[in-house]
Amino acid sequence: MGVFTQSVAVGRSSAGVPEQLEWNGRTYVVAAEPVRWFERRRWWAEERRAERGRGAGLVDHEVWRVQVRLARAPRSPLLTLDISHHLDSGRWRLIQIHDAVRQDLRESA
Amino acid sequence: MGAGAGFTHLHVASAFGAHYGVSWPEELAQAAAADGADALACTDRDGLYGMAKHVQACLNAGLAPVVGVDLAVAWDGVGPDGQVAVPVTGHAPQHPAGRVVVLARGGCDGAGYRALCRLISDAHAHTTGGSAGGSPYVRVAELAAHASGEDPAEPLLYVLVGPGSEVGQAMAARRYTQGRTLLRRWKAVLPAGSLRVEVVSHLSPPGQRLSTAHAVRMLRASRDTRVPAVLTNAVRYAAPDGAATADVLDAARTLSSLEALDDLQPNGQGWLKPGAAMEQIAREIGRDSGEGADAVQELLQQTAELTDLCRMDPGPDLGWMRPVVPEASVIGISGAPERELRNRSLAGARARYPHLVSGGRFAATHEGRELEQRMEHELGIIERLGFASYFLTVAEVVRMIEGMGVRVSARGSGASSLVNHVLRISNVDPLEHELIFERFLSQDRSTLPDIDVDVESARRHEVYRAMFERFGAERTTLMSMQNGYRVRGAVRDAGLALGMESDQVDGIAKQMWRFSASSFREAMDRMPELRGFADRVESGRRQGQQQLDLLVDLTERLDRLPRHISMHPCGVILGDATLLDRTPVQPSGIGLPMSQFDKHDMDPMGMLKLDVLGVRMQSTIAYTLQEIERTTGETVDLEQVPLDDPATYEMIRTTHTLGCFQIESPGQRELIGKMAPVEFNDLIIDISLFRPGPMQSDMVRPFLEQRHGWGMTRYPHPDLAPVLAETHGVTVFHEQVLRMFDVMTGCGLARADEFRRQIGGPGEQGVEAFFRREALARGYSLEVIDEVWGTLHAFGSFGFCKAHGAAFAVPTYYSAWLKTHHPEAFLAGIFEHDPGMYPRRLMVAEARRMGIPVLPVDVNVSTDRFRLEWVPSHPELPDGGQGRWGVRMAFTSMSGLSGTEIKRLMAGQPYTSLADVRDRARPTRRNLERLAQLGALDCLLPPGGASRTDLVHHLELQHAGTGSSAPLGHHPDGRRRRAGSRQVDGQLSFALPDTETAALTPMFPSPSRDQQVRTELDLTAMDTSAHLMESHRAYLDALGVTAAEDLLSLRSQSRVLVAGVRVATQTPPMRSGKRVVFISVDDGTGCIDASFFTEAQHQTGEMLFSARLMLIEGTTRRTGPKAISLQAIRAWDLHRPETLPNPDYLDSTREQWRAWLRRDRQAAAARRAGQPWDAPGALPDVPHHSTGGWPVKVGAAVGVPPENPDATGGQRHSSPPPRRADQHRPVPVPHPETWELLPAPER
Repeated sequence: MGVFTQSVAVGRSSAGVPEQLEWNGRTYVVAAEPVRWFERRRWWAEERRAERGRGAGLVDHEVWRVQVRLARAPRSPLLTLDISHHLDSGRWRLIQIHDAVRQDLRESA
Repeated sequence: MGAGAGFTHLHVASAFGAHYGVSWPEELAQAAAADGADALACTDRDGLYGMAKHVQACLNAGLAPVVGVDLAVAWDGVGPDGQVAVPVTGHAPQHPAGRVVVLARGGCDGAGYRALCRLISDAHAHTTGGSAGGSPYVRVAELAAHASGEDPAEPLLYVLVGPGSEVGQAMAARRYTQGRTLLRRWKAVLPAGSLRVEVVSHLSPPGQRLSTAHAVRMLRASRDTRVPAVLTNAVRYAAPDGAATADVLDAARTLSSLEALDDLQPNGQGWLKPGAAMEQIAREIGRDSGEGADAVQELLQQTAELTDLCRMDPGPDLGWMRPVVPEASVIGISGAPERELRNRSLAGARARYPHLVSGGRFAATHEGRELEQRMEHELGIIERLGFASYFLTVAEVVRMIEGMGVRVSARGSGASSLVNHVLRISNVDPLEHELIFERFLSQDRSTLPDIDVDVESARRHEVYRAMFERFGAERTTLMSMQNGYRVRGAVRDAGLALGMESDQVDGIAKQMWRFSASSFREAMDRMPELRGFADRVESGRRQGQQQLDLLVDLTERLDRLPRHISMHPCGVILGDATLLDRTPVQPSGIGLPMSQFDKHDMDPMGMLKLDVLGVRMQSTIAYTLQEIERTTGETVDLEQVPLDDPATYEMIRTTHTLGCFQIESPGQRELIGKMAPVEFNDLIIDISLFRPGPMQSDMVRPFLEQRHGWGMTRYPHPDLAPVLAETHGVTVFHEQVLRMFDVMTGCGLARADEFRRQIGGPGEQGVEAFFRREALARGYSLEVIDEVWGTLHAFGSFGFCKAHGAAFAVPTYYSAWLKTHHPEAFLAGIFEHDPGMYPRRLMVAEARRMGIPVLPVDVNVSTDRFRLEWVPSHPELPDGGQGRWGVRMAFTSMSGLSGTEIKRLMAGQPYTSLADVRDRARPTRRNLERLAQLGALDCLLPPGGASRTDLVHHLELQHAGTGSSAPLGHHPDGRRRRAGSRQVDGQLSFALPDTETAALTPMFPSPSRDQQVRTELDLTAMDTSAHLMESHRAYLDALGVTAAEDLLSLRSQSRVLVAGVRVATQTPPMRSGKRVVFISVDDGTGCIDASFFTEAQHQTGEMLFSARLMLIEGTTRRTGPKAISLQAIRAWDLHRPETLPNPDYLDSTREQWRAWLRRDRQAAAARRAGQPWDAPGALPDVPHHSTGGWPVKVGAAVGVPPENPDATGGQRHSSPPPRRADQHRPVPVPHPETWELLPAPER
């Protein structure tokens, strides 16, 4: 597995579930029901402040594992990506691309 | 039911589950109600600590309360087949089974709740109290027994086996078979229908515990074993923001840093999620389990069904608001309690008022009728409220305590009651002092009144044990109290969590002074003593270090969160035989059981609490009387001592009142100096004046002016003259507030007291409207109404009831009388029981000031007590030829000496030689050295021979290398050496000198006085042979420092330097809302009280609260004929020589001081003229650390516009009556926060 942190733009359903994302100038659609979890952060080492009332996103961040394919190529192969959602800033980052497709990515890059 | 009605959280920890839950019950209930839930559970760890608050919060929010507990369980005593085997013994569980949630069945007239209470008490029966007493757990067999109801189909308890249980742990580790086997075992042991599988997903990463996969496995196990499953979120905080606080609490609980903590919550999802989010989680679990919508629906349905089984009906289930008192038979009565109370009251009245009551009748005089009417009035109210047996119970307790020969007296508003007086509960005559019964009890109050009883602190536990015995252990338990984080503890635990060095954190903690932890960051900006810390935070930030910033944030997060419960200093709960069905109990620090409920829970839970407070002054008085009798044979009966002894009042007026009850604090000494009391009623007024209410509403100065005839006594209206005459027109007592209400509105005293209670609370506006309307209707002018309301508003809830003042004034007078007439015995009592606010070493200085010899520890004379000893002649005696009584330091004053060693030392007295001490007293080597260092072995040294230093060296040499602290007599070397010397000098007789010490070669001189003082401070925390400041004498003399005793001869506004040991620091609330720091130092000739205003606080900076030995520059301010205090300009820490001024300081800085004085006078003049004073370059104000919000709340000034309109902001009265224009600085009389003044409860 490779570890990336690249910024991505994510479009979500009204329930907050990712439906499509833009990455490297391409648009992908989510092709299967995604899985999500919340991953802990070592906030006491990573953060400058931990003030009361700061809200969500200090102790953990939301991670979605999505299977996507290119929006314009319905028969393109599925990619499995982990994208994280930082609740405090609202930003999304791509944090992981799973092995099976990394090869392809490298080749196409 | 089901999803439509909202989701009910059944596993929720509140903040009262110490070091685990984060959110307060109100926050949780409000969040649940806002989400549309109709019920909410509270399941604190190990107890019902937050239950009563939870029930109240649920009732307020319109929710049905569910109550339960999160408990550790163990399989001990259950065989692998699920059969209950022989009960096992021993404390620690052999086969732990993790933690489960237990919920009580509701709607069954308390059967479920009773089972829950008993279960929790059983869990704590495996512990012995205190931090080292083990942790509570319950055996599965015990759990099963408590869960079984009479009807097999209806268990009393429901057990939720979830992710924290052994089953859940097995499932997390994918040991499916083991998990299912354990679950079947649970099912076999518990009563049918009582088991549930708790399914939780915190959406943690796949593979970790509390992931959805973990939840799925639990759900499947429930299927396989046919145990219904319920969904919870194992909640620890109301909102996601609490997750970081939970992390810090986990670190604090395990005494670990966050970095080293291996058991952190997997993420921050343990919050009270809305129903929609919980349903979403249910769907994800359903999807991943591959079971679809029906399974999801079933999970939610079963959760709702369990909720319905557990809804509590507060009245019938919990006894909510239903007072229970001991059965009549227990207090020894057979008939109706009302008749019994009447009979006993009449009998008591005969004893108290023999001239007014004879036979069964009251005298036909005016006094007799008055007495009868008052008695009828009180008995009528007591009967209507049904409290007769309560009064009989308290009377029984007091009778029991008196029977034990323990000093006892009622305190507080209980002294307002004639019935209490005739039942001997209170010693104050309410008629004589015009005390109002309604202040204590009235028809309009439905809760049990508090009757507080003071007993000797040293015998408090004895009294408690006697109460347990008298009323039975099933009816008696101690009350507990919640100890919450204050700022110093919070910063220490926050530092620990961040992995900071403890020295660094300690240094920060020492500089902090009483602001609320939640306002740390604001305090950093405004408090001069934190300036250095604020600078370090800032510079760290610039260097990219965030640790101190985080420290501030985490400290604020911990603010007020409960840390642990402990035995309340005085509350004892008395109930009937069902008490232990209504409260869980756990062992307290002294072994007696204590309830998990605190004082706030008493009324709602229908519990009768008696305050039996250990008061050290009562022990001091008892000991003093004992020493007088032992040394002189004279028996002093204080009850017979007249309350008008002139010598006593003369002593009080000198303000040398250190050691006297209630009047020894710096502020009180200043007030006494100004007030110059001459009679007992003055003491009552003095004690009552010295409270936040009178202070904040500017009552003290007008009172003093009018008392001394400098100001005209003036009443807002002639109708109020009878009410206010005794205090010269100034409102001092609650009783006066009540009468003012009554006079101006005709509301009656009972309602008046209800009104008084509402002042300062949400109901105040209604009270004000009523007061204005009724007073207007009775023809009072608007000016009068404004003025009187202003007084009522300011005084209202703060003041002091005269009954309390009267009850306090008695021990105050007794202690002053004893100090006047038996000073040596009194000081021995003070040393023995250490009753006051000051360190004991100040009392040693006081003894020195009074010329009373303080004799050092002596191995041949000292005992386990501070005893009077006749001193034939002593270097400290002014007339060495004449003997006098002195006080011998007790062995107990030396730290490190154990109780057993002291017993042996006493048993072996007298000793003739060092060997003799070793042989018979057998102290540890270290303690023998300590005794030698203190001079306790000087009596064994040959005259003219070796010195104390030689002896210490000798012992250290002997002990070097052995390093053990075993008792000396057991050491073979010791025996041989002793045997050897005995052999050589076998024929020496008893009277001859110690051969071992005689053999020492004198080499070293005796220790210098400074060395001696240092040793004494190290070993006894008292400087017995000379004052601590003596070692700085040379420098202080060079500087030209003034001694305390010489201050009084100086003119006001003289510039001085003083130096001394800090003995007290106080920051009383001030009318201006600014903080003024009062620091008292003792320099051996007396106490100096210095006030630090804003500028001086800035000048002094970081050492304001941390320095022990201080040098202070200030200006004298004469405050009364016998009183002078210091307005500080700046101060230094004598332990930081590099910061100290040069010896020519006073001369070289004269000009600066003149400038300071000019500024100060200008500012004072501006204040007098009512103008705001803004000196160029003025330093920012330091606000007072109110316990409430920020900025500080300030009581309204009465009849005087606020000193600084900006500082007090939202005043309620935009147009205060322009009565006086003489503005003045804040009342320079400090008064400690009330709790500091109250006698220190037993430690």
